[in-house]
Amino acid sequence: MAEKELTQRTAWDKVLANLRKRSLWMLHYCTGCGAVELPPTMTSRFDMERFGIMPMVTPRQADILLITGYLSVKTLKRVILIYEQMVAPKYVVGFGSCTINGGMYWNSYTTIKALDRYLPVEMYLAGCMPRPEAIISGFNSLIDKIGKGEANSWKDYYENYEFYKKNQDHVFGDIETHHDVPADGRYFGILEAKR
Amino acid sequence: MNSGIGLIVWIIAYPFVSFSLGVLLGGYGRKLTARIQRRVGPSWIQPFFDVVKLMSKKTNVSHGYMHDVAMMMLVGGTLLTMYFVPVPGFHYFSQFGDYIVIMYILLVPPLGMALGVGQTANPNGSIGIARALQMLAGYEVTFVLTFIGFAMKNGTTSMYELMMIQQSGGVATWGLVTNPLLGVAALFCLQGMMNEKPFEVVIAPHEIATGPMTEMGGKYLGMMFIQHLINLVVELTIYMNLFLGGATNWFEYVAKLFALFTLVMSVNAVYGRFRTDSALRFFWKLPLPMAALGVILIMINGI
Repeated sequence: MAEKELTQRTAWDKVLANLRKRSLWMLHYCTGCGAVELPPTMTSRFDMERFGIMPMVTPRQADILLITGYLSVKTLKRVILIYEQMVAPKYVVGFGSCTINGGMYWNSYTTIKALDRYLPVEMYLAGCMPRPEAIISGFNSLIDKIGKGEANSWKDYYENYEFYKKNQDHVFGDIETHHDVPADGRYFGILEAKR
Repeated sequence: MNSGIGLIVWIIAYPFVSFSLGVLLGGYGRKLTARIQRRVGPSWIQPFFDVVKLMSKKTNVSHGYMHDVAMMMLVGGTLLTMYFVPVPGFHYFSQFGDYIVIMYILLVPPLGMALGVGQTANPNGSIGIARALQMLAGYEVTFVLTFIGFAMKNGTTSMYELMMIQQSGGVATWGLVTNPLLGVAALFCLQGMMNEKPFEVVIAPHEIATGPMTEMGGKYLGMMFIQHLINLVVELTIYMNLFLGGATNWFEYVAKLFALFTLVMSVNAVYGRFRTDSALRFFWKLPLPMAALGVILIMINGI
């Protein structure tokens, strides 16, 4: 009974999604060299703000977590802490080849190779590194996805937390974050609303 | 519309009117800044999208009871101020409270913010609050002084009566024209009051990570945005009523609101940010002596 109800979007959901996609705030976690492509994307030349995308400075305020470049084991831990501080709906965007398969660091012993084993990645921007045009086109496809209600990877973190936790533990030993993710999912009714 | 059904309709509708005006003003300000920087800029009603986005967040992080209550104080205090400030067609509450009352209530939102941010226990937030209070010492003294001078000259502290006196003789009786020293000093204070550059030391995103807003996410930040948008309208209206002769109709009101905001945002777009001590020094070196001189002139000449 509930199955059908929850898979269908109500008119209100559609209106809300179409308003929400007009405002996306981005927290960029600049570990690698990819961050150098962001200033031209934000400033006068390419002007990201015309799509309502703005840089924000704290995880609490942000909607998009942009991982620009490789993640070492040490920085991955920080990224996970930051991700769990963000308020859902939240979207992780992997930026550049390093987040997809390790890129030029593929055989390094301190970097992780696939980001989506540790965090639910909504979208990848391929390239080493992607130019501002690619970033803008990528964000536009993210905006479309949000408008259609298809950008639901953040729910995956609540639903398949064991998978992510297992991979995180594999890297760090036993990691302790400040959020009890499954309890949060139950409290805010995210786990019940299965797609 | 200051009695009966009309009054009730006004009281219910006014927050929404004020919020809508705030959204238009905020969007206009961001568009203007973008155009000055030769960008396309966001949508004209971008603040509306932001507020909807923030209020429709699915999860929330509360830091405790005071954190929740502070948001009520923030929005409630601003709404209360809004009712006491006369606008064209609605000045019912201004007969119960003059500017001195408004001055008191204007301090409720910062106080609420201080309490709420105190509970989040974020060092950036605490620094932001400390800076906000320091800035208050900068502009509030001067702004009160300009008001005292203006009230002494006209023999009343009621904002509505001051507005009516200014409207009696057209532009020649506007506060800014009759007492330019006070008017210009208050204009500096307005810039500080609205937290725009060069006095943007409270938010300072690159320095203290948006200060008081650091730990605010989702619905909390949404409430702060709503407060900010209504506050834009309230603060501009206070300056307008004191020095630009208020407004006789809504067309004039909106025109003056946008003109004044254009001035504020233009300064905001081309200046960098002062350090806290530089900002305070500036306020006490230029606007404060100006306002004091204006008050002394009024005491001597009665003009």
